[in-house]
Amino acid sequence: MTTLQPASPPNAQARGRLAVFNPTIARITARALFGRLRFLLLLPLPVLVVGLAVLTEIAGVRTSDWVDVVVLGLGLTVVLPVLALIIGNGVLGTEIDDGTLAHVLAKPLPRREIILSKLAVAVGVTTVATGVPLALTGLIAGSSRLAVGLAVGSFVGSLAYCAFFAALSLLTRRPVLVGLAYILIWETLLQSILDGTRVLSIYQYVRTVVDRVADSELVSSNLSLAVALSMTFIFTVGFTLLAIDRLRSFAVVGETS
Amino acid sequence: MSTLTVPAGSAGESLGSVAPTASGSPGTGSVVELRGVTKWYGNVVAVNDITMTLGPGITGLLGPNGAGKTTVLHMMAGFLPPSRGEVLVGGQPAWRNPSVYSGLGIMVEREAVHGFLSGWEFVLASAKLHRLRNPEAAARRAIELVDMVEPMHRRMSTYSKGMRQRMRVAAALVHDPAVLLLDEPFNGMDPRQRLHMMDLLHAMGDAGRTVLFSSHILEEVEQISGTVQVIVAGRLAASGDFRTIRRLMTHRPHVFTIRSSDDRRLAVALMGLASVAGVDIDPKGGLTVRASDYGTFTRELPKIALAEQIRVQRLVPADESLESVFSYLVGA
Amino acid sequence: MSSPVTTARPAAGPGGVIHDIGYRRYAGPRLGRAYATRSLFVHSLRTAYGLGRSTLAKLFPWGILVVLVGIAAIFVAIQSQLPPGVTERVFTYWQFPTQTNVLVLFFCAVAAPELVSRDLRGGVLPLYFSRPLSRADYPVAKFAALVSAVFLLLLVPLLALFLGSAFSQDSMGAVADEFGLFLQGVVVAALTAVLFSAIALLIASLSGRRAVAAALIVGAFILTTPLLLVLQLLAWANATVDGELTGAGEQLFQLSFLASPFTIVEGIGGWLFDPDEPLVGPYGPLYLVVTLAIVATCLLLTLVRYRKVAR
Repeated sequence: MTTLQPASPPNAQARGRLAVFNPTIARITARALFGRLRFLLLLPLPVLVVGLAVLTEIAGVRTSDWVDVVVLGLGLTVVLPVLALIIGNGVLGTEIDDGTLAHVLAKPLPRREIILSKLAVAVGVTTVATGVPLALTGLIAGSSRLAVGLAVGSFVGSLAYCAFFAALSLLTRRPVLVGLAYILIWETLLQSILDGTRVLSIYQYVRTVVDRVADSELVSSNLSLAVALSMTFIFTVGFTLLAIDRLRSFAVVGETS
Repeated sequence: MSTLTVPAGSAGESLGSVAPTASGSPGTGSVVELRGVTKWYGNVVAVNDITMTLGPGITGLLGPNGAGKTTVLHMMAGFLPPSRGEVLVGGQPAWRNPSVYSGLGIMVEREAVHGFLSGWEFVLASAKLHRLRNPEAAARRAIELVDMVEPMHRRMSTYSKGMRQRMRVAAALVHDPAVLLLDEPFNGMDPRQRLHMMDLLHAMGDAGRTVLFSSHILEEVEQISGTVQVIVAGRLAASGDFRTIRRLMTHRPHVFTIRSSDDRRLAVALMGLASVAGVDIDPKGGLTVRASDYGTFTRELPKIALAEQIRVQRLVPADESLESVFSYLVGA
Repeated sequence: MSSPVTTARPAAGPGGVIHDIGYRRYAGPRLGRAYATRSLFVHSLRTAYGLGRSTLAKLFPWGILVVLVGIAAIFVAIQSQLPPGVTERVFTYWQFPTQTNVLVLFFCAVAAPELVSRDLRGGVLPLYFSRPLSRADYPVAKFAALVSAVFLLLLVPLLALFLGSAFSQDSMGAVADEFGLFLQGVVVAALTAVLFSAIALLIASLSGRRAVAAALIVGAFILTTPLLLVLQLLAWANATVDGELTGAGEQLFQLSFLASPFTIVEGIGGWLFDPDEPLVGPYGPLYLVVTLAIVATCLLLTLVRYRKVAR
């Protein structure tokens, strides 16, 4: 004979829990991320970066030249933002799309906890997936300081990009397209035309951080470290708060709505 | 617990006892209230000024597709804000209030689960996210209640639709909520699973919980509960026992099929009654009588049969079913 | 109850009769496979431009078209501001498609998923394949539609360029010359349309989610630019002190533009229309062959994909 006992009283607040991170949500989010085909399709990118670095170094290309093309042009301009887009959207946008977010929403959890748990997974995965190969290229370029700088830059970039792209999932119906428009049009295209947009480009913040940490002539940047770090902070915290607020008012509609 | 045959009416014994709610008597924790709730999307009014109160026990939310059942359910579940009016669960507003979910269990119509999770992991995650003190035990009990212990370690992507439904119900009631909302819970269940689920819901309702399920399949609602809320085109068309509702619709005559020893003479005699609106003679035998006044007709018929020395062999109400009530309401 | 009007003999049998209450069999002409394919083509072309769908669906394609026409207008305006007698051209027709490559890419990244990913997601392919359409007709019609859409996207601004320039010409002879240059642009536009569409359609057919498909298309195209640069770096690695390329380095440099769809077509254009300073050296015809090979391979793979996909 089984009995359905009354549940324990849900006064977690009384127990003084600071709702910042939920391991269950993080675990499920991570598993969902790694299980999707499209995630695996993107893993060749970091490998490509390292491969090209090796190739050009062996072929005798001047280090500053190939660092410019492979590390900055491919790694920071393409691989970091695109990976952050797929991962940042993957932790939130896909669950919105296929409806599994409703399971998490129907729980007595503060929305802050949900967003922060998912973002932690996104930032962690992105940092590792881009930081490790980029650091390797730094070593190939012969500068361990550059390697460290690139790793730190990856982390900083992951913070800002993932917060931005995850928030987009809650702000618009086509978050991946808007994210692509940001990467493609805003960061790539406009940069070469309008100098003023540099202050609003995550790529520039990352580049600045890498430059300052690595202190190497291989990388140069345009902004001051203070501006870069504060803008990163604003981006990250701002979009995280925005995402939390949007999740509180998130309407789950039925299939036939 | 693997019993298949659940004798009707003994749901409490066969399923194991479902304890009364933690809140003891049906207090405010298990009451769902809608006050003047309206919901529109641009120009389309999905729900139009609905006021209803749900108390302990089972209620069926009935209505054709597109009537607004899912919208009403989602508003009760705190998934949608009403455009006007209030939705209160246990005295608390449902919208933007995550703490209400400690006493509220929801199963939405949309079948979306992470396929890579096993059933056990899914229900266990639900228990953990509800911050239960002993999530493993609660998950185990919930899975036993829905009779899914055997396949529980398989991945959900390998389940049939009915199995997934049952796991989702288990996840919805793992924290023993005072209020349980289910949107089309019997979708994809075979008759045996449906019976089992009906008895489970009955047991929960009898134990003092408020259980609301929506359906557009009339047989399900007929068998599981006497209380229905009928929603048609966004409006609450009727509430209460469906038989009572039927009788309240006096402008629609009640239809009876009568077989007697002398149909023609009975027909002539019945036509003389004020409570009879019409009589049809069925060529294969028998009469179809439309009575505008149910009570008077049922009292007069025996008197006439006695007076005319006619033996009535069969008297069957032809439209007592929920289907006819439904079609009247929808057609009206 | 009045009896239903019957125009045919009701089918009767023992114990029952079916009245003909007006169900009509279709006795008209049944148009065949060509009509079905043509209809799919027209429908897909309309979808690419968001016709017949919501305003939001029209936003991207028409927005890009407006931007392109705007760029053309700016070019015309600048050209017309030059003092008379100056023959230097501010723009060239045949380079216009390559200069606006990124916008064309964006259009493809939005249109290709609209054409094929939605059908994959909705599981409607069995409905298509149970019609007179054959398994090969579907991708061919979609490809034709995407090529036409991209070609139109480039043709309209080119026309704007031509019309704008034609009005500021002095003689009919000059107009005729201008038209000849315009045709050069048309050729490059056609090549761009075919190449970009083939690649974009193949990638889009891999995923049912439009967003993922768009990301994959953009990612694949953008990745090729650094590859191109790496090849050039390798070429320059062995340059002479004066900064001149010789021998293998020069060949590598000339071949490097094959690496990216953005530059392949420019290579062909340079070979055809700018024989004085060919960027690609003697390899012009090779570029054309490679382009056609890429298109053919992508088409073939797309056909294989649609042969295998079940729903």
